[in-house]
Amino acid sequence: MNVPNGPARVRSSLICLLALVGIFFTAPWPSLQAVFHVALVLGLAPLEQVPLVAGLWAVAAGWVSEGPLRMVPHPGGAAWVDLTLALTVLFFNRFWPPDRRLIWWARLAGFTLLHALLLHLAVALASGAHTWGRGWVWALLTSPLWAMLAWRLKPTAYQR
Amino acid sequence: MASRTGLRSAGWQAWILGLLWLGHGLWVVNGRWPGLGLLKTLDLVSGPVLRVSAKWEASREARNQRVRNLAIAEEEIARLKSRVGLFELQEAKEGPRRAEAEEAIRLLGLKQQLPLETMAARVIANTRNAPFGGLVIDQGSVLNIQPDQGVIAPEGVVGRVWSVGPRQASVLPLDAYNASTGVMLARSRATGVLQGTGPGMAEIRYISSQEGVQVGEEVYTSGLDRIFPRGLLIGFVSRVRPRDSELRVEVALSAPLDRLHLLLVLPPKPPIEVSPPAVPPMGPGKGPQ
Repeated sequence: MNVPNGPARVRSSLICLLALVGIFFTAPWPSLQAVFHVALVLGLAPLEQVPLVAGLWAVAAGWVSEGPLRMVPHPGGAAWVDLTLALTVLFFNRFWPPDRRLIWWARLAGFTLLHALLLHLAVALASGAHTWGRGWVWALLTSPLWAMLAWRLKPTAYQR
Repeated sequence: MASRTGLRSAGWQAWILGLLWLGHGLWVVNGRWPGLGLLKTLDLVSGPVLRVSAKWEASREARNQRVRNLAIAEEEIARLKSRVGLFELQEAKEGPRRAEAEEAIRLLGLKQQLPLETMAARVIANTRNAPFGGLVIDQGSVLNIQPDQGVIAPEGVVGRVWSVGPRQASVLPLDAYNASTGVMLARSRATGVLQGTGPGMAEIRYISSQEGVQVGEEVYTSGLDRIFPRGLLIGFVSRVRPRDSELRVEVALSAPLDRLHLLLVLPPKPPIEVSPPAVPPMGPGKGPQ
C-alpha cells in the first residue's frame, strides 16, 4: 500500500477537518452545506490512502450533515450513502486513475448526481417522504472548484 | 503488512468497513420498517451477553457488599473487644470484692451456727513466710481481744491470738512450729497435741501406737486446751507413721492459711462442749481443704 508521507497526510486531514467543520456551521444554509458535504465525501475523503480513514470521514460527514438541525426523524441515511460512495470513488481512483483534469471533473460530477439520487433514496428509506432541496445543484455547479482542489491534492500514485 | 494476529491490516479494515456499512444499512432499513424487529433481534442477540454481564455485575455488587459487611463486622468486633476489655477490667476490679463478699457470707453462716459470742476480724497482713511470722488482724485490746483466744475460719481452725496491740493483734497459725493445739481424731476419739511442722501441715503427738488411725480421717479440736471448744475441724490425716511407742500422724490443715481475709475470733476460754456445725459451711464450688 502506498501511504503518503507525513506532511501530506497532515495537510489532507486538516483540509478534511475544515470541510467537516464547514458542514456543521453551514447547517442553516442547506445549499452551502451541500457543497461542503459533497466536496468532503467525493473529493477529499477518497484522497486518503487508507480506506478505513476515508470511510470514517465520509460517515462523519453524513452524520454531521443530518445531525445538527434534526430535520429528519430517523437520521443515518446520509452517512450510509456517503460511506458507500466514498469507498466507490476511492476504488475508482485507485484502479482507474484519470490522467486528465476534465475526466477527473466529469467523473466527480457524475458521482455528484449519483450521490444526490442515492442520498434522497436513503433518506426516504429511513425517514419517509421529505422535500428535495437545491443543494445538489449547487454542489454540481461548484464541482469544478472542489474537484480541481482535489486534483491538486491527490497523491502522485493516482497519476499514470 | 502483517499484524501480530497474522492477518493483514487491510483485512481488518475491510471487516470494519463492512460492519460499518452493514450497520448503517440496517439502521436505515429499521427506520423505514421498524416492524421488521431489528431492535428485537439485536436484543435477542445481546440477551445472553446482557444476562452474563448482569450476573457479573450482581456478583461484583455482592462481593462489594461482603467487603462492606466485613468492614462493618470488623468495626463491630473492635467495638466489642473494647467493651469486653472494659468488662474484664471491671471484673478484675470486682473479683477480690466478690471473693471477700462470698467469704463474709460463709463467715456469717458459721457465726450464726456457733452458740458463742464471736467477733469478726479482717486479716490486714500475712507474715507467715517470715520467721516467727503469723497473721495480723484488725482487732485489738480496744475491743477486748486477749491472747489465747481462738481464731477460726469457715474452712476450719486458723490458730490462736498470740499478742495483742490496741487496734491490732497477731495470730499464731496452726502450722507454726511453736503452735500447740489439743485435738482428737474423729473415729478413734483418741486425743493428742497438734504441733505445726510447716506451711499448711502439722503433726499430732502423743497418739498411742495402739490406736488405729487412717489416712483421710478428720481431726477436730478436743477442747482440752480451753482455747477452742470441742469439735471444730482442724484438718485431715495425710500420713501415719509409727515412731517408738506412739504414732506420728501428719495432718493437712483444712483452713487455707495463705488465702484468709475474714476470720472469727472466739471468746476467751470457751466452754468445752458446744454444738458446732456438723459440716463446715462451704461456698459454691468449695470443698474441704
